[in-house]
Amino acid sequence: MKKKVILAFTFVAVLGLVAMPLFGGGRREARPQVTVFWALYDGLTEDYRRELESAFMAAHPDIDLDIVAIPWDNMYDQILTSVAAGDPPDVSVIGTRWLLELKEMGAVLPVEDYVSQALLDNIAEGTKEAELEGVLWGLPVAAGARLMAINKDLTDVVPTTMEELRDAARDAADRTGAYGLILPGQKHTELTDFVYYFYAAGGEFFEVQADGSLGRSTVNSEAGVKALQFMLDLAEEPGLVPDGYLSQTRMDAHPVFYAGNAAYVMIGAWAESSLADAGATFEVEYAQIPGFAGHPSQPLVVTDSLVMFDGAGNPEAAAKFIEFFYQDEWKARFDELIGFPPVTLSAAALPQFDTPLYEALGEAAINAKAWPLMEGWAEYDDRIWDAVSEAFLGRKTPQQALDDAAAAIDRARGF
Amino acid sequence: MSFKQRLLHPEARLAYLMMLPASLFILLFMFYPVLHVVMMSIHDTTRLGHLRDFAGLRYYNETFSDPVFWRTIGRTVVWTVVAVLVKTIVGMIIALLLNQPYRGRRFSRMLFIIPWASSVPISAIIWRWVLNHEFGLMNHTLKSLGIWARPPVWLGEPLPAFISNLWVDTWIGIPFMALVFLAGMQGISADLYESAEIDGAGALTKFSRITLPGIRHIIIIATLLSALWTFNDFNVVWIMTKGGPAGLTDILITALYKSAFEWLRFSRAAVLAVVTFVVLMALALSYARLYFKGEND
Repeated sequence: MKKKVILAFTFVAVLGLVAMPLFGGGRREARPQVTVFWALYDGLTEDYRRELESAFMAAHPDIDLDIVAIPWDNMYDQILTSVAAGDPPDVSVIGTRWLLELKEMGAVLPVEDYVSQALLDNIAEGTKEAELEGVLWGLPVAAGARLMAINKDLTDVVPTTMEELRDAARDAADRTGAYGLILPGQKHTELTDFVYYFYAAGGEFFEVQADGSLGRSTVNSEAGVKALQFMLDLAEEPGLVPDGYLSQTRMDAHPVFYAGNAAYVMIGAWAESSLADAGATFEVEYAQIPGFAGHPSQPLVVTDSLVMFDGAGNPEAAAKFIEFFYQDEWKARFDELIGFPPVTLSAAALPQFDTPLYEALGEAAINAKAWPLMEGWAEYDDRIWDAVSEAFLGRKTPQQALDDAAAAIDRARGF
Repeated sequence: MSFKQRLLHPEARLAYLMMLPASLFILLFMFYPVLHVVMMSIHDTTRLGHLRDFAGLRYYNETFSDPVFWRTIGRTVVWTVVAVLVKTIVGMIIALLLNQPYRGRRFSRMLFIIPWASSVPISAIIWRWVLNHEFGLMNHTLKSLGIWARPPVWLGEPLPAFISNLWVDTWIGIPFMALVFLAGMQGISADLYESAEIDGAGALTKFSRITLPGIRHIIIIATLLSALWTFNDFNVVWIMTKGGPAGLTDILITALYKSAFEWLRFSRAAVLAVVTFVVLMALALSYARLYFKGEND
């Protein structure tokens, strides 16, 4: 009898364990929960995240909001693993260059189907990079061209070509003992610190085929080799760039500028807030990243978007969060903290965005060029940066390194 | 009692039933993932890792004909062998020291456990700061004491970066080895050492004839565990260098991660996972054989 009781008890326990997930055991969802993957931009504070969360839940007591802060460097991995695991966030900040990949996976929802027309009308037309084939998949959350910041205590020269920049940086370094220019030798999320020079030399990553699609890699073009050789020459000149540039990502290298130890840095719109955070007291001038002689200035523009994910379960509640966040009270403050120019028409009219930094950003946006929007970019981006590293390490010439990278990219893309 | 009778005995049936949940759990969470990874390695996969067309051994051929793969394998072997050797030798020396009677021995033992008790990611992040070329404590100390006027860029050049990763991995792993060896040494009867001393045995003889044989099983288990952990030590390499510069500090596990979760090439990543599984399985089996052979002897 005793054994039968044990047997019956064990059987029921096993059955219960097996059946629990099928019936959603253990879940107590009285109200919809909205999870937001929140990129930790330079300048964005924890206080802001917490206040936004509390304010939204006070305004919408029927919704649980969980804003999960994630460092930019881990954002892509975090999103992909959550999508692959079938547990995506309701809303996430993404690099717009990842959108095509996520769309091909069927992971994202068209945001225009969920948010109000009033909000869509308030978004500046030029910032809607997440519009594919006439459908808006994400709202721009941070959009800004890159520019150059100059430490006026170390130099007065505003260079108009890359060659002038090198000479002015050399002069500043010789005169002051500070570094002339910041040159990160390691990648931070993207190969941004190569593309400044690559675009300045008129480079294109891929040839455009007759049907408009992207063909073979052209990173090993004359422009690519010129850009990489120029970076190498800068790196090899003693005292011109920080000694430890090889181990520095942007996050390690930019503080050297904030500390007043470098004359020039190519940077994003977060420069002003980061300088303020670092307690910098020197005067800063913002200027355009120059082109090489004979080439126009063509800075990188980076757009990040806020997208909604399919399969998260609460798109209507997620849309309410987006509507809430894009009010001037929150979005304009967000823009101010991270230093990017506003993406909404109403915020653009606010007086805090009428400064020399935003003026320079506006000018930079005119000729700015974005990343290629394509599947598999993360791998190609890594391969190109590996080529840059191999050239820095003297293991290959710029031509050899970029030839190998282009060949590897073409092979991976089936050419 | 025949085999069938034993199998159907009520007590045996109860035992099987009791084992059922654990068996189901193991099947579901251990064997199924392994099987699925093998399937991924012989199929094309979507960028989310879902199986598509059968690809046979294509991804194995591609991987095995890639020189980067063989360089990564070679580096992983060097990484594992050097790290385990250093951890074993240094761990043994520390265990011998901590086993000597002296004042403050308990305090020393507590100090030695700190690296092991700390979170690996936090330790790695702190070492990253220490080794920072511009602001790091290491280069500042080397330069200001006049030891090395132009120290290397620890995390930016291939060999120094590899050595830095090795250093952090061993720094974290040595206390574990030391404590395990120490626990083994404390199980050896003091009478044996006293007898050996009466017979005129020196320190080296006592170590080689009493201590080493006395903790032989512990050494086998500890080095096996250390080899498995070191081979798969993703945290240290990823946090310190991300396998860079130019993939020159990648070990198999970081290369696998890049393939799967950065480049979304799940089939190739699955091949690397299968290779990792086979290597570690072979290692574990040969160790088990050695261990049980010793036990039978």
